[in-house]
Amino acid sequence: MTAALGRLWRLWWAFSWPEVRHHPWRHGVAVLAVMLGVGLALSVHWINASALAEFSSAVRSANGEPDAQLRHATDRLDDRWWDRVATDPAVQAASPVLEAQAMTWTANGQRQSVRLWGVDALTLASVQPGLMPRLMEDAGRLDLFAADAVFLNPAAQALFADGPVNVQVGMERVALRRAGTVGQAGGPLLVMDVGALQHLLGLDGLISRVDLRLRAGTDTRALIAQWRAQAATNGQWQAEAVMLVLPDDGGARLSQVSRAYRVNLTVLALVALFTGAFLVFSVLSLSVTQRLPGMALLGVLGLDARDRQRLVWLESVLLGAVGSLLGVALGTALAWSALRWLGGDLGGGFFDGVSPRLQWRTIDAVGYTTLGVAAAVLGGWWPARWVRGMAPAQALKGVPLRGAGLVSASPRGGALWAGPLLLLVGAGLSLLPPVHGLPLGAYLGIAALLVGGILTLPLIAGLALPACSDRLHTQALALLAVERARRFPDAVAVATSGVVASLALSVALTVMVGSFRQSMTAWLDAVLPADLYVRAGAGPQQAAILTPAFIREVQAMPAVVSAVPQRQRSVWLDPRQPAITLLARPLRSASDPSMPVLLPLVGPALAWPASPDAVPIFVSEAVADRFDARPGRTLALPGIGPPEVRFQVVGVMRDYGRQHGSIAIDEQDYLRLTGDTAVNDLALSLQPGVSAEALRTELLRAHGDTIEVTSAQTIRRLSLDIFDRSFAITVWLQGVAIGMGLLGVSASMGAQVLARRREFGLLRHLGFSRQQLLRLVAAEGGVWSALGALAGVGLGLAVSVVLVHVVNPQSFHWTMDMHIPWDRVIWLALSVVAAGTLTAWVSGRHAASQQAVLVVKQEA
Amino acid sequence: MHPLPPSAHPQGPCLKVSDLARRYPPATVFEGVSLEVRSGECVAVLGESGVGKSTLLNCLAGLDTPDAGRVTLAGRTWSTMNDTEASAWRRTHLGFVFQAFHVLPHLTVARNVGLPLMLLGQPDDDRVEQALASVGLGGMGNRLPQTLSGGQLQRVAIARALIHRPRLILADEPTGNLDPHTAEQVLTVLQHQATSHGAALVIVTHSPSVASRADRRLVLTPSGVEWLP
Repeated sequence: MTAALGRLWRLWWAFSWPEVRHHPWRHGVAVLAVMLGVGLALSVHWINASALAEFSSAVRSANGEPDAQLRHATDRLDDRWWDRVATDPAVQAASPVLEAQAMTWTANGQRQSVRLWGVDALTLASVQPGLMPRLMEDAGRLDLFAADAVFLNPAAQALFADGPVNVQVGMERVALRRAGTVGQAGGPLLVMDVGALQHLLGLDGLISRVDLRLRAGTDTRALIAQWRAQAATNGQWQAEAVMLVLPDDGGARLSQVSRAYRVNLTVLALVALFTGAFLVFSVLSLSVTQRLPGMALLGVLGLDARDRQRLVWLESVLLGAVGSLLGVALGTALAWSALRWLGGDLGGGFFDGVSPRLQWRTIDAVGYTTLGVAAAVLGGWWPARWVRGMAPAQALKGVPLRGAGLVSASPRGGALWAGPLLLLVGAGLSLLPPVHGLPLGAYLGIAALLVGGILTLPLIAGLALPACSDRLHTQALALLAVERARRFPDAVAVATSGVVASLALSVALTVMVGSFRQSMTAWLDAVLPADLYVRAGAGPQQAAILTPAFIREVQAMPAVVSAVPQRQRSVWLDPRQPAITLLARPLRSASDPSMPVLLPLVGPALAWPASPDAVPIFVSEAVADRFDARPGRTLALPGIGPPEVRFQVVGVMRDYGRQHGSIAIDEQDYLRLTGDTAVNDLALSLQPGVSAEALRTELLRAHGDTIEVTSAQTIRRLSLDIFDRSFAITVWLQGVAIGMGLLGVSASMGAQVLARRREFGLLRHLGFSRQQLLRLVAAEGGVWSALGALAGVGLGLAVSVVLVHVVNPQSFHWTMDMHIPWDRVIWLALSVVAAGTLTAWVSGRHAASQQAVLVVKQEA
Repeated sequence: MHPLPPSAHPQGPCLKVSDLARRYPPATVFEGVSLEVRSGECVAVLGESGVGKSTLLNCLAGLDTPDAGRVTLAGRTWSTMNDTEASAWRRTHLGFVFQAFHVLPHLTVARNVGLPLMLLGQPDDDRVEQALASVGLGGMGNRLPQTLSGGQLQRVAIARALIHRPRLILADEPTGNLDPHTAEQVLTVLQHQATSHGAALVIVTHSPSVASRADRRLVLTPSGVEWLP
């Protein structure tokens, strides 16, 4: 074994290394492709992994490592639960926390939403010491329980100027006295006494959670079942809505909901590596074909077929290894830079505000290096097979007219149908259901579609080009270009495989992003029917809410036709999954209360249920998928009304704004079930002719900066800006993939020109001028690129159907309407053709040189 | 075999070479080369390997720039023309036959033969078929070069060299890759077609038998040419 390896290595050194040295640029392109693929994929992986680790760490830190948390489905828990569980023998210590969001005014006068938590200083130390308030030197011990005392964590200290901290409660500004600090890391946090915060927010008797320290060996599942049963027996405190959450669930939930996003981004980054495999294939097949006589000589001298194959494999492995090692270095640099300058969020919004440190892991580096080598070996697979299958005697004889650079040994006959077969397999795989929430079948299907499409290229060229050739019989230059592509379609497939793959994926992503943007625009139009939107603060637990007096004032304004209120709350349907948003708003049509108002529905809605016990709700696609809440089914909303109330799904709606899902309920039903009159948003429709800007100014003048008033157009514009920013990395990755595909065309054209020097020399003898030769090479590049672009666009559209109709619904639980931005697709295709033609023209300068004339004799 | 229609080329010298020299410093390939070739005449160029026979052919064809002297073909001197003019002149007045055939693999036989006409903007399928018939390849126009033998390929090259009725045909070892019997046949076709066509033929060869069929024979030496009796 060692002897065989040593012999192979010596053979590589003697036979292959000179080839690498002779064509460093061409091999450099293959190495670059692998390097970029590995580098990009690894950097995306590390950025996401680092952000997730940071987030999980922050969650653990925020929770202070209790053994468990008792929570309520609506995030508002009766504080008698604290008394109940604190005395349970299984509980060593219990400490209540009330969580809220509050609008504040920072040192530079900006309004900013920060976390405002109420804690119990007496029970806190044993459960979560990180949240323990530390008094300032001049503060008294009773300030720990004072109604106006607040403690700031380091991020909040940096945010606010010295002096009191102003927070907005309802629509009032309340000044809180700075009494000390808390050591809690993470984003800005204000901490005060839980009783004081309950009183401040009007949430007497309510908390968010009880943090628990349990005795060793306690079965948490049995414990919560026991508590629920006891509470239900006593008819107490919405027992069915109480849940025990384990501390790691926060990170796990984020990991779960962001997994599809992270996998998608990693797959997208791996596209570059995928394209790199094609580039290695392109480079090695041309290199091997050029060296066929040498390979044949080695064969005649005693190198058997298997060793010839191994030699090409070794070349692939070395290309992949060098590229991968450079890729690891690139990935490290990219990830470090991105985390340092951009934070941990790559556009999905899952890790916004997280500033993680790079989590460099050897196992990741080894894994992606292996992946890079595997891609290179995959690229070298067919060339290695060709070398193994060639007949050395015939190759050495130099069968006339099988010039170097042509893939004369490529598969034909039955193998020609492998392409169409793979296309069918790809289509079938794309229809498979998701695996653990990931569209693995669709990813495999896309890969099969791409490979199948490229393998089908010779078939298409063979069918389409004869007609062109017949029409061009008087145009020497065009005829030569077309005839070459027609007679050697395998060579076209080899040369353009990289660009076909990269263009196909770019077109697919362009169509997917275009479809998403178009659907998002339509959705924004549907959910923003009013002229102006008013709110006091963002978020379901927001302390800043619109008061009834303000709402009455606005509704009475002559300029306002209608002021539609909306309430937002968090609801936990499952403690292992993220909370969803409950939207309470008028859903019954004013003109016909039996009809729902217009929502951006997906599919038809059911008739409004007649029974008052069945409360109609609309669910977003995410809720429909995650909880199998199809129209007609009933759903339990723990904590919303009595346990016997059934919520009937009457329709599924689109909601691109809330990734974890949302449920819309009519405001009258909500009020009847909960008695909660708070309002978060008002949608104002104005009288015709009334200036929205003028009314906005009037409202702001009357209510200072305790409200935010935004026009529908502004929300629409801001939303689309955020959308575009989110997909910015996609555009960059597309650019890299396309650039690598073009490098492949350039490398192939350069190799082809080199290999066809005798042919170009002949044409010079026949009367071609240098300019004509240049035009010929450029025309061939154009024809090849055009074929590649045609195939790339066709494949890209097929892949986009999979992305739009399979990958997105399976990954993110939202659908979209197919929209093909033809202008961008055509621009992409034309760019590829132009760039391909240009690179061919540059390569052709060598063909037109004086040396081309001389090689006619030299290489005879 | 049918001869191509006779051309209207005027009799008299179609190629005139005066005091030609080519150097690759510090070496001199050749110098002092002067000769004239008349239309319809066949001249064989002999010489040792490396003496510059192919370089001389390239200079005659305007594909290489001599360091001294001038080459005039059909009344025009290469050195007075730019690349575009020289290419146009070459495609009109020159035909080539090579040792290695140099037939384009991706074109059919007919399209290979018709390529010079296409370059001139005068495609003519009938003439192509006639040319193929004249070299004994009638009915083979739709075949791809890969399906032909070496002798057949060289006949394709000859038909291509003559199809546009050039004034001068330059043949560089045209039978070097062929067996003696096939070489004899090919040479007969080449000479017959060139003569009947009225074109001058310059053949570079190592073969005494090929040279013996020429009207005149010269030996290229570093210091010029020596005419053999």
